[in-house]
Amino acid sequence: MNINTPVPTIYGDLVERFSEIWSNQIRALKERFGDAIEEVQLPREFPTEVPNVFVRRDQIAAVLAWMKEIPDFEYGYLSDLTATDEQERPRFHVIYQLLSRKTMARIRLKVRVDEDQAVPTAIGVWPAANWAEREVWDMFGVRFEGHPDLRRILMDVRWEGHPLRKDYPVRGYQFFPTPEPIDPTLLES
Amino acid sequence: MSKDGSAAYFTTRVDAVVNWARKHSLFPLPFGTSCCGIEMMATLCSDYDMARFGAEAIRFSPRQADLLIVAGIINAKMAPVLKTVYDQMSEPKWVMSFGACASSGGIFNVYSVTQGIDTVIPVDVYVPGCPPAPEGVLHSLIRLQEQIQKGETSAQRRERQARAGKLKEVT
Amino acid sequence: MSIDSRAEEKLQKNEKISNFDLPSGGHYSVEHDPDDLWGDSRVIVNIGPTHPAMHGALRMVAKLNGETIEKSYCEFGYTHRAKEKLGENRTYHQFVVYTDRLNYCSALINNVTYAMAVERLMGIQVPDRAVWLRMICCEMARVIDHIICVGINAVDLGAFSFFLYGFHQREEAYSLIERLCGARLTTSYTRIGGLMADAPEGWEKQVKDWVKRTRTVIDEMDALLTGNKIWCQRTVGVGVMDAQFCQQYSVTGPTVRAAGLNYDLRKDQPSMFYKDIEFDVPIAQNGDVFDRYLVRMEEIRQSLNVISQCCERLKKGPIWVEDKRVRIPEKDVVHNTMEGLIHHFKFFMTGFEVPPGEAYTTFEAANGELGFYISSKGGPTAHRMRIRGPSFYHFQTLTPICDGAKVGDMVGILGSINIIAGELDR
Repeated sequence: MNINTPVPTIYGDLVERFSEIWSNQIRALKERFGDAIEEVQLPREFPTEVPNVFVRRDQIAAVLAWMKEIPDFEYGYLSDLTATDEQERPRFHVIYQLLSRKTMARIRLKVRVDEDQAVPTAIGVWPAANWAEREVWDMFGVRFEGHPDLRRILMDVRWEGHPLRKDYPVRGYQFFPTPEPIDPTLLES
Repeated sequence: MSKDGSAAYFTTRVDAVVNWARKHSLFPLPFGTSCCGIEMMATLCSDYDMARFGAEAIRFSPRQADLLIVAGIINAKMAPVLKTVYDQMSEPKWVMSFGACASSGGIFNVYSVTQGIDTVIPVDVYVPGCPPAPEGVLHSLIRLQEQIQKGETSAQRRERQARAGKLKEVT
Repeated sequence: MSIDSRAEEKLQKNEKISNFDLPSGGHYSVEHDPDDLWGDSRVIVNIGPTHPAMHGALRMVAKLNGETIEKSYCEFGYTHRAKEKLGENRTYHQFVVYTDRLNYCSALINNVTYAMAVERLMGIQVPDRAVWLRMICCEMARVIDHIICVGINAVDLGAFSFFLYGFHQREEAYSLIERLCGARLTTSYTRIGGLMADAPEGWEKQVKDWVKRTRTVIDEMDALLTGNKIWCQRTVGVGVMDAQFCQQYSVTGPTVRAAGLNYDLRKDQPSMFYKDIEFDVPIAQNGDVFDRYLVRMEEIRQSLNVISQCCERLKKGPIWVEDKRVRIPEKDVVHNTMEGLIHHFKFFMTGFEVPPGEAYTTFEAANGELGFYISSKGGPTAHRMRIRGPSFYHFQTLTPICDGAKVGDMVGILGSINIIAGELDR
């Protein structure tokens, strides 16, 4: 028993309900974006509950904007923006979890990024991505180009290192003698 | 009286009366950061009333409070803020370390958490629990009050040393 | 005290220094007037991180022009406990304890969502009695979270006895939860595949009595504030978040329902037995602080209905699925049989293995969409444990809403969004 076993009390069988919608959408995506869609992992063949669509790094903002507007997709809700450290090359996967309120279908977009590469920001599509991208920068060190204000959000501004990387120790303590100073430049309108 | 002029245990009636007044009129500063903050609110509310023990006047300004109740996690970003707040309080001041996270880091032995506030400020009474039951908090408050009555707390020791002119200046 | 390097650099370049270049606000007098940063009477005010109006440790730095906030920025991370890092270093069973401390006002919802997330990865179906009990726990947690949210909101705006009424009902709920699982606040009640312990005899009857008493108390609380002129003047028209704004900022939960959108994951994406229960989803129109208060009060009533329906449907049965992978053996089996002892030992020393895969499991928590994205590469610990806390996305809405509002309004708005520092910082 694993993830491909549908559990009735946890949404039932998503694949049954959405497989047609998903296959239509993936076909339309491949038609529209061609090469930018690197790989698609479908739920029954791969241990995931929604399709994983791997998008090329430079096209992700365009893909997200298209998926939000087009009537058959309408993935209007950015549920989550996060990243994982895969410990292979390319190192990080930036993950976008999308929700379509029209059909209640979810989908996951992934972008493979290496340590010194940057991902175009999704702020133009959803302002909600602002802090989520700052958190990915803080925790993993993935840069987002076009982000107006990429600085640390959860850790202290003076922290060194990116905590959620696999090579950062769990007990890597760092202490500071003074509180974080106010930055008046952020208040210039 | 001991050799350097500081006394460990005063038996004057004036001090007994002053300590009695102090212990029954603690002004807590609720420094609540996380889950223990909710249990601190529960202790201050009507079911387990801390006002019965005199600690009713909650003052959020450190200049006006004398009991600093640190309830919740203190991490690397918050520790200097805690030190600043503690420094701003005037003598005599007492610190209650509320909960496991404040006393020792609790279940979080990770990069961002100070493993106990006694690495940052001196503590008078620790309340164990995650979060502590309000009965435990009231028990610790009574223990602190007993210590204040006997004059055993470090704040009162510093006061006696200062009175005897023997307190070294700390920069 | 030594001068900070920033101030020293500026002194060497003969530039004006202000108090902000010195540590801890500065103990030196400077010729340059720090209030005169922009040449007029605007002041920078630092609100927090230890401030009574900021729930938990949040910091807002605002540029004030009189009472109006012209520009502000928010800072948090003062409660960051690295739960996502711990998720990669603790077994799935050990992590249940950390999930309580996310939204600590409604700890049971986090437990249930986490258990659902791991069960999704393993394909485990939990027995019926456990599902009904989990639903009762979720709705009770929702009630106490809403009570504390509107209570603290009222206290910030001056109404204190409203809070005390609600808090007594919370204490009674705490006694019920303590009878169920032994702890008041940090329950750690669910296990992967079921629950820690069954409800004691007569617990459902006590819950039904509590529901009846809470209904009258909520009506009393309603009478205190809803028609109150002072309350209405302070909350109607304040902090308006319309539907478009909520969608752009990924706002979910009572805030988006107050804006007029019918978004509730219990109805749209039902898990457990929410399909078989009748309840309404309250929706308001304007999206201001008053509407959020009304939506939460009505949601308390609806949750009480759900609890009484679930108590009717509760039947006897097992509460933990008999799946060898996740079921911790009972103590008499552990002490009396060799297999039980070895199983117990392996379970606690190594942890059970979750097959490789990834899933993003969501549930309608009291604040909005609580999600756990667990990516497993086989093995007893997760490869990535991502916790999508709704407060993280909600706190982002504070700056756009408050720029242009008064400081007093900001306090009311912050209370109505219900930011819980545990979820925000994780």
